[in-house]
Amino acid sequence: MLTEETKTHIEGLLNKYKTRRSAVMPALMHAQKQNAGNLTEEDMREVADYIGLNPVVTNEIVGFYTMYNPLKDIGTYHIQVCANLSCSLRQAEFIIEYLEKKLDIKSGETTKNKRYTLTRVECLGSCGTAPMMQINDDYFEDLTVSKVDEILSNLD
Amino acid sequence: MITLTINDKEVSVEDGTLILEAAKQAGFHIPTFCYQPILSRLASCRICLVEIEGQRKLQPSCVTPVMPGMKVQTESQDVKEARIGVLEFFLSNHALDCPVCDKGGECELQNMVYKYGPKKGEFTEKKERFHEKDYILSPVIVKNSNRCVQCLRCVRVCDEAVGRTMLGPMGRGAHQEETSFLKSYMDCDQCGNCIEVCPVGCFMRLPYRYRARPWDLKSASTICPYCATGCRMDIQERGGEYIRAISKFGKGVNSELMCARGRFGFDFLNNEDRLTKPLRKKDDGTFEEITWAEALETIKTNFKLSSPERIGAIISARNTNEEFYLLQKLMRTVLKSNNIDSSPRWSSDAVSAYVTACGINEGGTSIADSIDVDTVLITGSHISDENPVTDYLLRRAFDTRRIGVIIASPRAMKLDSSAQMTLRNIPASDGTLLKAVVAELYTAKPEAFKGVTGLTKIKTLDSATLSKDCGVALDDIKATTGKLLKSDQISILAGTEYLRFPESLEGLVFLRDALRALKKDLKILPLLDRCNQRGAWDMGIHPAFTPGYEALEKEGLGCDRMVQAADDRQLDMLYVICENIAGLYPDAKYAVSALSKLKFLVVQDVFMSETAKLAHIVLPGAAFAEKDGSFTNQEGRAQKIDSLLPPPGEAKTALEVIAAIGRELDYGFGPSTADEVLAEIREATSMYREVEIDTARNDSALVKGKPAALRIADFLGKKRFDDVEAENKPSLPVPVVKVKPLSFKLVTGNHLFYSGTIARRSHTLRNLVSGPMVEVSVADAERLGLSDGDTVRVKGKYHEAILTLKSKKGSRDGIAFIPENFTEVGLNRFLKRGEGIQEVTIRKI
Amino acid sequence: MEKILLKNIHKEDSFKIETYLAGGGYVALKKALKERPDDIIQLVQDSNLRGRGGAGFPAGLKWSFIPKDPTMQKYLACNADEGEPGTFKDRAIIDNDPHLLIEGMIITSFAIGASSSYIYIRGEFEFGASRLEEAIAEAYEKGYLGDNILGTGFNLDMAVHRGAGAYICGEETALLDSLEGRRGQPRIKPPFPAIAGLYGKPTVINNVETLSCIPAIVEKGAKWFAAIGPEKSPGPKIFGVSGHVERPGLYELPMGTSAREIIFEHSGGMLGGKKFKALIPGGVTAPMLVEEELDTGMDFDSLAALGSMLGSGGMIVMDETTCMVRVSWIINKFFSHESCGKCTPCREGTTWLTKVLYRIEHGEGNAGDVELLDRICGNIFGRTFCPLGDGAVMALRGCMKHFRDEFVYHVEHKRCKVC
Ligand SMILES: Cc1cc2nc3c(=O)[nH]c(=O)nc-3n(C[C@H](O)[C@H](O)[C@H](O)COP(=O)(O)O)c2cc1C
Ligand code: SF4
Ligand code: FES
Repeated sequence: MLTEETKTHIEGLLNKYKTRRSAVMPALMHAQKQNAGNLTEEDMREVADYIGLNPVVTNEIVGFYTMYNPLKDIGTYHIQVCANLSCSLRQAEFIIEYLEKKLDIKSGETTKNKRYTLTRVECLGSCGTAPMMQINDDYFEDLTVSKVDEILSNLD
Repeated sequence: MITLTINDKEVSVEDGTLILEAAKQAGFHIPTFCYQPILSRLASCRICLVEIEGQRKLQPSCVTPVMPGMKVQTESQDVKEARIGVLEFFLSNHALDCPVCDKGGECELQNMVYKYGPKKGEFTEKKERFHEKDYILSPVIVKNSNRCVQCLRCVRVCDEAVGRTMLGPMGRGAHQEETSFLKSYMDCDQCGNCIEVCPVGCFMRLPYRYRARPWDLKSASTICPYCATGCRMDIQERGGEYIRAISKFGKGVNSELMCARGRFGFDFLNNEDRLTKPLRKKDDGTFEEITWAEALETIKTNFKLSSPERIGAIISARNTNEEFYLLQKLMRTVLKSNNIDSSPRWSSDAVSAYVTACGINEGGTSIADSIDVDTVLITGSHISDENPVTDYLLRRAFDTRRIGVIIASPRAMKLDSSAQMTLRNIPASDGTLLKAVVAELYTAKPEAFKGVTGLTKIKTLDSATLSKDCGVALDDIKATTGKLLKSDQISILAGTEYLRFPESLEGLVFLRDALRALKKDLKILPLLDRCNQRGAWDMGIHPAFTPGYEALEKEGLGCDRMVQAADDRQLDMLYVICENIAGLYPDAKYAVSALSKLKFLVVQDVFMSETAKLAHIVLPGAAFAEKDGSFTNQEGRAQKIDSLLPPPGEAKTALEVIAAIGRELDYGFGPSTADEVLAEIREATSMYREVEIDTARNDSALVKGKPAALRIADFLGKKRFDDVEAENKPSLPVPVVKVKPLSFKLVTGNHLFYSGTIARRSHTLRNLVSGPMVEVSVADAERLGLSDGDTVRVKGKYHEAILTLKSKKGSRDGIAFIPENFTEVGLNRFLKRGEGIQEVTIRKI
Repeated sequence: MEKILLKNIHKEDSFKIETYLAGGGYVALKKALKERPDDIIQLVQDSNLRGRGGAGFPAGLKWSFIPKDPTMQKYLACNADEGEPGTFKDRAIIDNDPHLLIEGMIITSFAIGASSSYIYIRGEFEFGASRLEEAIAEAYEKGYLGDNILGTGFNLDMAVHRGAGAYICGEETALLDSLEGRRGQPRIKPPFPAIAGLYGKPTVINNVETLSCIPAIVEKGAKWFAAIGPEKSPGPKIFGVSGHVERPGLYELPMGTSAREIIFEHSGGMLGGKKFKALIPGGVTAPMLVEEELDTGMDFDSLAALGSMLGSGGMIVMDETTCMVRVSWIINKFFSHESCGKCTPCREGTTWLTKVLYRIEHGEGNAGDVELLDRICGNIFGRTFCPLGDGAVMALRGCMKHFRDEFVYHVEHKRCKVC
């Protein structure tokens, strides 16, 4: 269910664009935020309905853009580690292996307590400070094993 | 014109032609996947790449327009290699399960690889797979995404032509899968156009899956037996069973488009309840089988016993022109009776007025021409449900050419989304609405109206009052008027509501004459709901005119008057072909009681209908796929139909039976084959003399005009619209709807999946509708605390029924719609002869 | 060289409008609004500013294609989708000096007659997006945006639109589709965006760095700008250096600075003193350069002459320990992951390439695989709908041109030659 807050957000978005349809991407993102990073079938239907689109359209959008997590179970902290070239040259693989061991999951998985999800991603535009990762909305750069430990222990 | 060379051959083509089309004109075939002329351009599959001199890269011929002096190669080494490269890519992730694929043998990918290569693929990796087993998307659609070539024709046809947007590409890149919202079951038009446009075996017909290989099928080219859009299709059988109907690109008005009824509704032909033997009613009311000789003998005797004015014939508008012609010939020349008609749903007077108002007697107007205008006004038709493919064709034209569309209808419909304006008038007030528009036109340009029909009356029309009477705001009427004044070319598409409520025709005639007086280029296209309704009229299936609309000196009885005459015991004998009077006459009780009083009722039909049950003799009939002959669609396009299988058992075509009865009565009666009858039709009426009755798409298949044959003044209660003022019948008294809490006006028409008696016998179509339903506006449903799917009791003065509720967004409040053809409900049981629209209440149970 | 683009980024509170104003910000705007729009277009044409998004198309020329009809709605879209691996320059401006971009956009909008503008920023840049939104709000407040800007009667709205994870949305027409609420897939050209772009209206799309050059050009003139670097592609350029160097990061230098200078002087040389092996000069699409080619000037034409490209100027440096098969696999995996799926050669071809490269890299290559790679490349190149597919091939061919032996070794020995 879209919360009143999310609806207010979406309503605000509609003025930004010439067509209601233009608001569909940010609207879906708001809906996902509201559910701590997960997008439900109901949200997809409701956003479509709110904007005046067939639900197929929201399904298309969430399937195309990688930042939507439709019908997935993303943990409280979504750790995305860049594995593209610049990061890889700077030992990103090693960081990923370390995280896999530390969290006891493979990349692509969520820990049992639903606290962490680990994903390997393509370039995040932070190549000069490789290796790097993104946790929810924040970037963490120039990673080393000890820095990773510190970052994780500082999460709320 | 632009001149260029293609493969060193010089060609001249229209400005703006695509290279692909130019090549075709020059005789060179370029393969395509994503290109579909009626759909938006994608240029994504890259199979159509060609070489253009001076261009570094190969270019997609499906989007590149020709330029003067261009030098194009469609078969150069580069082009050939690119083509093979693309095909190899297609095969790389294609399931290659051709042996079990429905499409095997008629697959575009298979054919293309066969023709161009690669001879051998080098792809040895694991293929991307979307799922293990086929999955079902609807009662008629089954999906296998592992075969997809990503041409997106399915997605585009659904969105752009059908207007449903049920399908989309989900996922990205190689993981992209065209399917429904989260692969859920689709509540859609079920038209199967996604199946038809799919080049491979990705979308399949569920009822047909694994039933046959295409090369085992026998086909005949025919016309869909449902509405009067007149879609051309190939009907196919295997082992005596009708198994598939397909539409083909570039054939017929519809090209590859069809609706659910057309594509899936043919299976009534296979129904185990088909009548196969002539039957005679015994004294105890049950039927016994008899021979044709016995049947014909009995019929002959009864015909001979009755005097001409006591004999009548009613034939349904699903029969062929040849059958119509021969029946009226039998009636008029042998039996000397003009008591002949085609539908119990409306009066023959209404037909006369409609025919003249729409200019049906003045020859055909193609749908292509009708929509190549500035503004289209759709009135008196629920076109999206009644003529689905006409809706599809219109949508595509409206959306691409941005034609102004105004839709006037009490009920909301799918095509509304393509309209600039939708007017939600009170039921049966279509004419009142048009009069309001005429009043405004008159106010705007009074000087133009000299000599317009009914001017005295037009002068006194008051748009404010009329706007109240039709329930459409005056501002909307003014806006409509404004749009009409601004347009040079206008089309009016007028539907069957004008036949149900013929008083509305006065408004249509006024508007027609007003627009012509304003020097607008006006076209009127009738929208009809039975495949050969127009043909029936053209062939003189009417008490007041003969083939080609020659008015008769002495008018016979139409269906309505025949029923009345039967009730008054003024009619002795009725010969009914495929028409279900008891089921459709707008007062079921009256019709049944009247028909029961007949001395002799003979009914030929394909199923035992409510009417057939009342008959003394029942003859087994043939359906469309068992007949040769022609149909004339709503445009006035005469189209040939070919038979595929003989009728079941001892059943015979109406043509054979009419000819046989004719010979029983008059040894010289004839002709008796479809071809011979057609030749005689051509002689009998100039309308059909030069018509090319074949599978042509062009306008040579349109019937020609015979303008002077009928005049409006001769019809509609024998009164002229023209300047007969005070005593002229007022428009149908249309009470302003006081929306009492539970009271609704009961209206009817066709359902998207259900029209006419044959649809009830299609198992596939029956599967698509959960059961008889009543539709109200969303607002009304909310007001009553009802939601979709609720079971409700609909109660009228004469009848009540238990129905499933459906709500529709945007419909006018205070209207309850029940489709006219549910046997279980018998809409006509709610109605009373002479009382018009009934009020009903709806309550949840 | 005096810094133009990165001059503010290290200042305290560099992102605030006060800081920007104190550094002489929005002076150019005031100057521009006094000119005729056409004169600004001419000015930018004279400056020879070429697009920094990758293709190097002359900015002023692009603007001049916009119809002059004043009744027609026009749009400006800033391409801040920065997604090409190795590229991280736009983010520095967005995060730290958003007003530079905003000022550039206002001037551009004025020149082309746009009354509405959007910044399409990649979705992952949440931080940058909020920085931009705050800065836009400041600009509205100060009267640089909104109705009747600085009393000149010029109106302009600006809004940020966030992407949601799709590299292809950096392609300008895919960007427009995405802005319209669709899946970001490239559109058929023609019509070009300058004629029918956003919502079917004339639209200019420029990269963040391109637009950020505008205030300086207006302020200091076309001649000044054209005099920086080579004649045909002048101006300051932000080079983003990553990979095996001592000091990865952003370096603003004149166009045409040699790759060797950037790597060995500005970036502190090779990491740990290892031997240089190869350079990807402008984002992963750009074919690799080897040692002998390092003296080439980093500008559009010099690199094109070598069969490579400047692209975004994102330089990825690799040392002797780098396995080129692995590098190719990583790059190709990226392209197949990001292929929008529209056209067959790219969708199927890049996936196939990735599968073959994976096999070779993991010691499962078969004889003939290297030739197979060549063949697949040939079936993609020049036949795709947009440049992404071609880019994948350019990257792979660029690598195989210099290091084919490593691919062959991998196939023959089922292991890596260098690591
Ligand atoms: C696959 C692909 C990705 C692109 N990504 C970007 C990008 O992230 N940022 C960008 O500015 N331009 C990108 N471009 C280039 C744009 O299409 C376009 O040329 C550019 O934004 C124009 O701006 P400019 O003239 O200022 O360079 C990309 C092009 C392609 C084909
Ligand atoms: S080359 Fe084709 S599939 Fe690849 S990104 Fe471009 S349009 Fe999409
Ligand atoms: S038919 Fe031209 S690209 Fe598909």
